Amino acid sequence: MDNRVDLIKEFYQGLPTNRVKLETFHYGFDFLEKLLTDGIVLRYGERYITGRFYKYKLANVPKERIDGLLQAHVRKECNVCLYFDGNANGLFCFNLDINHKVNNTVMIPEMAVAVTLLRDILAGAGCEPLVIASGRGYHCWCRLDAPVSNERLHKFMLGAMARTFYGLQQNGMDHRKIKANFYPDPRTQDTVSLRLFGSEHMNTKLFSQVLSREGLLDEAASWKAFEEHLRRHAIIAEAFDAGYASMTSAA
Amino acid sequence: MKTIAIDIDDTLNNFSETLAKTHFAHDARYTVSAEIFDKYLAMVRNKEGEEDELLSTEFSYFRQKIHGQCFDLAVARPDGVEFMQWLKQDGWRIVICTSRDMRRTEQSTRMWLQENGIPFDYLFVALDKLSFCKAWEVDYLVDDHFSSIQFADRYGVKVFYPIMAGQVEPEAGFARGFGNFEEVRQWITE
Repeated sequence: MDNRVDLIKEFYQGLPTNRVKLETFHYGFDFLEKLLTDGIVLRYGERYITGRFYKYKLANVPKERIDGLLQAHVRKECNVCLYFDGNANGLFCFNLDINHKVNNTVMIPEMAVAVTLLRDILAGAGCEPLVIASGRGYHCWCRLDAPVSNERLHKFMLGAMARTFYGLQQNGMDHRKIKANFYPDPRTQDTVSLRLFGSEHMNTKLFSQVLSREGLLDEAASWKAFEEHLRRHAIIAEAFDAGYASMTSAA
Repeated sequence: MKTIAIDIDDTLNNFSETLAKTHFAHDARYTVSAEIFDKYLAMVRNKEGEEDELLSTEFSYFRQKIHGQCFDLAVARPDGVEFMQWLKQDGWRIVICTSRDMRRTEQSTRMWLQENGIPFDYLFVALDKLSFCKAWEVDYLVDDHFSSIQFADRYGVKVFYPIMAGQVEPEAGFARGFGNFEEVRQWITE
C-alpha cells in the first residue's frame, strides 16, 4: 500500500471511518450505483456550481472500502473528508475561512495575522498545530496522545480563538473577516466534515500545502512536514490539561 | 429508467405561507435584541438580503434559524404526497432536489419526508437544478424557481411548476404550470 495512505490513517486515527464525505468530479446514476455497493448508502449528494464538482455524504462505509478511497485521495482522484466522533476525539482542528461573499480564495491580511496568532497561542499552550492551506484559509490540526471529550476540546478551542480574535483587534483588524469553526463542535459534529491532508482543492486545484513558520511548503515538503508532525507533536494529556486551564481562564 | 427530480419548498409544501403566517417569538436562542429580532424577521419574510460583503453574519445565522423552523412546520400538499406515492408505485426513480443546506437540515428534511409519507430514492442539493438535471439526464423537474421555469427550454428539461395565486401561466413549452399534481401525472404519462 502507498506509504502516504498509512501516514494519513495514522494521523487521523480515531476519527470514525464509517461516514465519509467524498468530493469528486464523477457523477451520474451509473457512477452512484458502483459507489453504493458493499452496504454503502448515500445520505445526500450536492452539486457545486463553481467547478461543477460533487460532494457525496456516505454512511455505512465498511473498513475494506476506506483504504481504496484513501488511495484514490492521495492519487488526487477524489477528496476524502471525515467526520469526528460524537463523544471524544484524539485530534481537533480550527477551520479558519475568509468570510467574504466573493473572492474568498484570495488571501487577506487578516487571515495571515490570525493564523500566526493562533499558531503562537497554541504553541504557547503546548499544542503545536499542523497548519494546512484549505482553499479559503487554513486548517490548524492538533493531535493528542489520547482522546479528550468534545466538550473540553470545544472549550479549549473557544478560548484559543477568543485570544486570536482579541489579538486581531489589537492589530487594528476586523475579526469578522475570519470565519472560525471548531472540529469537533458538539453542535455540529454529525453534520460537518473536514478534508484530509493530501488533497487537492476541487476549485483551485491547489495541493493542501503545509504552512510552516517560514511559509507555504511545496507538495513533497508538505508530506515530509506532515510525517514529522505525526512523529513529534502529539500532545500528552498533562500538557493538554495545562493548556486547557490557561485557555479557559479569564484572559 | 424513468427519473424525475422534485423540489420541496413551495413545491411539495407551503414554505412561503408558513414563513409569512407563523408567529415567531423572540427568545434567547436568537442571540439578538427584540428590536433587531423584529427587523431581521421582516427582512427574512420580505426575502431581503443584507448589504454586507461578509458571508456569515448575525443576520445569516438568524435567517437559518427561521428557515429551519419553517422547514419543519410547512405542510405537505396532499396532492403532492399522492403524486409521489404514485411515482414510486409506477417505478420512477425519484430525486429530491433542493437548495436547502443539507449539512444543517438533512435530518429534519428526511424526517419531514418520512412523516408525510413521501418516498424518494436520492436526496440532492443543487442551486442550479436545471444543470443538475441535464448532467444526470433527468428529463423531468418539478420546481417553483423562476430560473427553472425561464430556462427550461435551454436545457431541454421538462419543468412543471405550481402556479401561484395571481400568476399567469406562460405559453406551453418546456415549462408548464399546474394547479394540481394530477396534471403533472397526466403530462408525464402522455
